[in-house]
Amino acid sequence: MKPAPFDYLAPTSLADAVEALGSYGADAKVLAGGQSLVPVMAMRMSRFDHLIDLNRIPELDFVRHEAADVVIGAMTRESRVGSDPTIAENVPLLTDATQYIGHFQIRNRGTLGGSLAHADPAAEYPAVAMALDATMHLVGPDGSRSVSPEEFFLGPMTCCAEDEELLHSVSFPVWGPGSGFSVQEFARRAGDFATAGVAVGIRVADGVVDKAAIAFFGMASAPVRARELEIELVGQKAMDLDFQEVGNQAVAHLQPPDDIHASSSLRRQIGAQLASRALSTAVKEAT
Amino acid sequence: MTAVAGRYVGQSVKRREDARLVTGHGRFVEDVAWPGTLHVAFLRSPIARGRIVNLDVSAALAVPGVHSVLTAADLNEHAREWWQNMIGKDAPMPPKRLLAEHDVRFVGEAIAMVLATSRYVAEDGVELIDVDFEAETPVLVERAGFEGVAADDANLVHPEWGSNVAQALPGPMGPGMPLDNPALEAVLASAAHVVTETFTQHRYLCVPMESQGINVRWDRHRERLEIVSATQSPHEVRSCAARLIGINDSQVHVVADDVGGGFGQKMFPATEELAVIMAAYRLGAALRWIEDRNENLIAGGHARNEDLTMTVATDESGKILGVRAHHREDIGAFPAYAVGSSASSVGMYLPGPYGFGEYFFSSEAVFTNTCGRVAYRGPWMMESVAREQMMDVTALAIGMDPLEFRRRNVVTPDQLPFTTSTGLVYETVTPQATLEQAAEMVGYDAFRAEQAEARTHGRLLGIGLSSYIEPSVGFGIMGAEQVDLRIDYDGSVVATTGSGSHGQSVETTLSQVIAETLGVDIDKVVFTQGDTAVAPFGSGTGGSRTAAVYGGAAREASVLLRNKVLAIAAEVLEASSDDLDMDLGVVAVRGNPGATISLADVAAVAYAGYTILPESIEPGLDVSFRIRAPMFMFSNATHAAVVEVDPVTGAVKVLRYLVSEDCGNMINPMVVEGQIAGGVVQGIGGVFYENFVYDADGNPLTTTFLDYLLPTAAEVPTIEYGHIVTPSPTPGGFKPIGEGGAINSPAALINAVRDALTPFGARVVSQPLGPQQIVDLIKGPASSAESI
Ligand SMILES: Cc1cc2nc3c(=O)[nH]c(=O)nc-3n(C[C@H](O)[C@H](O)[C@H](O)COP(=O)(O)OP(=O)(O)OC[C@H]3O[C@@H](n4cnc5c(N)ncnc54)[C@H](O)[C@@H]3O)c2cc1C
Repeated sequence: MKPAPFDYLAPTSLADAVEALGSYGADAKVLAGGQSLVPVMAMRMSRFDHLIDLNRIPELDFVRHEAADVVIGAMTRESRVGSDPTIAENVPLLTDATQYIGHFQIRNRGTLGGSLAHADPAAEYPAVAMALDATMHLVGPDGSRSVSPEEFFLGPMTCCAEDEELLHSVSFPVWGPGSGFSVQEFARRAGDFATAGVAVGIRVADGVVDKAAIAFFGMASAPVRARELEIELVGQKAMDLDFQEVGNQAVAHLQPPDDIHASSSLRRQIGAQLASRALSTAVKEAT
Repeated sequence: MTAVAGRYVGQSVKRREDARLVTGHGRFVEDVAWPGTLHVAFLRSPIARGRIVNLDVSAALAVPGVHSVLTAADLNEHAREWWQNMIGKDAPMPPKRLLAEHDVRFVGEAIAMVLATSRYVAEDGVELIDVDFEAETPVLVERAGFEGVAADDANLVHPEWGSNVAQALPGPMGPGMPLDNPALEAVLASAAHVVTETFTQHRYLCVPMESQGINVRWDRHRERLEIVSATQSPHEVRSCAARLIGINDSQVHVVADDVGGGFGQKMFPATEELAVIMAAYRLGAALRWIEDRNENLIAGGHARNEDLTMTVATDESGKILGVRAHHREDIGAFPAYAVGSSASSVGMYLPGPYGFGEYFFSSEAVFTNTCGRVAYRGPWMMESVAREQMMDVTALAIGMDPLEFRRRNVVTPDQLPFTTSTGLVYETVTPQATLEQAAEMVGYDAFRAEQAEARTHGRLLGIGLSSYIEPSVGFGIMGAEQVDLRIDYDGSVVATTGSGSHGQSVETTLSQVIAETLGVDIDKVVFTQGDTAVAPFGSGTGGSRTAAVYGGAAREASVLLRNKVLAIAAEVLEASSDDLDMDLGVVAVRGNPGATISLADVAAVAYAGYTILPESIEPGLDVSFRIRAPMFMFSNATHAAVVEVDPVTGAVKVLRYLVSEDCGNMINPMVVEGQIAGGVVQGIGGVFYENFVYDADGNPLTTTFLDYLLPTAAEVPTIEYGHIVTPSPTPGGFKPIGEGGAINSPAALINAVRDALTPFGARVVSQPLGPQQIVDLIKGPASSAESI
């Protein structure tokens, strides 16, 4: 379990990193917290000629409240995401999700950008980005572009960043008053990737749901929204919701994966319970 | 003999090992760095069974930094003898080979070894070895079922063996075992109740925190082989290396400093380690191999993986009249010792703490194209896993509470000495006392009420008990351990033995025994183990013998040395040695506080001033004592687990776990509890989390810690302890306790789950009990097709 040979670069500015990526392209890989990449390298499941370390680029490590969004730099550590007061106040779903990521040692190294770019279908942040309709900002030698989570997450361990691009930052919309959020997950052990999980946001005005977002993780090849159900929920009286029923509906159309830890149908059963619990928690918080 | 609590023995003395370990100054095998060492990486088989049709190492040899690439052709023919001190040379064994030759027999089998300037370069070389196989049908229980494997004469794991059946009992390999028991048949035909069930346990592993590893160098000028190894038994490594190469034991120097766990995996040198030893000798080089986690999981030796069918006959009142048992075991391709089967021990220990009446045991073990079996903490523990589940299943079948059923069958004090159905004699065990203490501590009767109440709210609570007798054997090299003890010129005490602590706190506990018995300050005791140059021959640490056997020897050696100190002091103080006491290294005449002599002064007399001593007192202050342990030593315990099952997610939470045990005199209660806790955690892991899985082609699916799930602190409850102290008749009154936590916990946990699932009538007889298995059990057999 030792990586294949590679060259190591440690640019200290975004411009240098982008330039390096531009010249090496598919022969390069960027290193963020290394919590996912390093094991994959050690098992020689990932190999490349140049490793571009992003850890010395302060420009990528920030949390800013801008207009209707909180913008977070890709190199912001998961531990900071979990404890930052601006995030806690404006994007509490991210704060809530962070506690489920691994253990504190992992969160001290792992980054928001690394987690999103790694695109593990069972990871929390991708589902949060999906639920909140975040915007992912990519930068490359040809300039920047912004994409939606649907465009960003292509499948298991695959995002839409081109070989020459890196994820710069992510904008998370602030939902404002009357909203409630919850992340619920089931994992084999404390800190494991989710067997099944869900991130939920609900906004209630005058007792009526006016915005709903339900995004599952660990239940498909990428995070997935329960869009039809969300549309149905909007306009309903929050007090009248039958959470159990809504939970069942939320997973009805999903075909979760089978693996040695849980069958597809068990994941659906767990997902329904998690969704109903998340919805009731979020509604309680919103009302 | 009565319980003792002295200045040191019986006290929770803080571990002497900890200061260096918790500050990161332990010295493990990987911390040893010799100049010029070459690092080893193995090319391992990617398929379970097949012929090697091409093996070309030239591209690997061309990698800068690669020193050489060795294959079977370079090493195998040089292997002289291949057997272990502990097992003896006459035990039947499947073919052994340092590297795969002509064919491969499991995924992970080592085919070639690359020697390079670093492990990184060595792995680069491994990647470039060109190897082609002609795949053959793998022999797998996962594919053909147990009977299918046993009956398959067309596909043999070891053609040299002639059958896939490695061992069958009773049979030619179990001399002295009766071939049948007609009296049992009569009992089964006439008993009021006869219950049969089969229990299965899956493959789970030792997983020491430190993997295996070895540094070896051959000094051709001095003709000495030097080895630093992560081993439980330095002398075993020494003998195995010497035998393999064909040199004398005394030409091999083995050191094991700190060792990060073993649990049986490090009892004997691994095949890879032997290959490294041979390579170092042939090349005259310094070599090191540090097994990585992936290697440790796929090829470091597997365990458990067996089933046991029991038929129990009882009378109307629930008294057991007879038991028949059949054990089946998948021991993989290359078990670590002999044929690797635990069956003879399983059969011998199966009666545990109960009267079984008439008894018959049979077994069958098969070779398969999987990683071979290795000893794992209580290698025979299937006897407890099956028996204690059978106690519950039988109780349920005859309409009796499991606690009551145990009460009716447990060995009581008035039955001692008690001879089991297999001829073992229990003299000082207290299974009834631990059963009652555990039941009381857990609040068994109150729990039943709580459980009924919880069920009305849809909560599934369950309780499980499990009792066992922990055996430790004292025959062969395991029964005669030696402790060398001397007092140096400065009055400090130096102790050496052949133990090989790999986490058992031996440095602390044996120092306690010595300091206590001798009458010195424990800080004056320098304890050395794990070095064959200074330690007397020993069998290392394993088999729950350290306290009873090494501890007994340490005590007796201390008595001898103390007597000598007092004899010398008596001459100096002009008193009778009967009137002398020694405490904290000062000898004093009882009733005469002024008349004292320090140990340093006694030492000075012994080494330099001996002319004042009579001829009958030999100069010097050193003694040796090699103990002769009883053939079998026993302790006992009862575990109780309380669990809650989540019917939706299938998750099981262990709400309470407690252990009532009797290991005789406790040298150090904290260490006793630590040993138990560690074992219980392994049981929690085994039952709920750990599962080494092969697919139907023999590919391992759980090759990293991402999929092979170990329990963490978050999954483990606070363990509660109750101690009953009934000293053994051996020196010190100590009994075996090292393995019991791992032996006895699985059944308690499984019984608790079965109890929680009673409303569903679930047949809980196998493991692991992960979320999937739990929900399948709740849904009933019809749905099990959906599980994977
Ligand atoms: C034991 C353990 C448990 C874990 N449990 C969880 C869990 O429960 N939930 C969870 O979500 N995660 C978990 N993780 C993963 C952890 O969150 C990782 O840190 C994260 O997935 C990757 O982030 P990183 O910063 O470490 O990225 P790295 O490992 O450095 O990189 C991951 C991948 O993303 C790419 N990448 C990184 N940054 C960028 C960027 N800015 N632009 C483009 N590509 C980029 C890298 O090239 C690489 O391919 C766990 C990890 C471990 C070791």
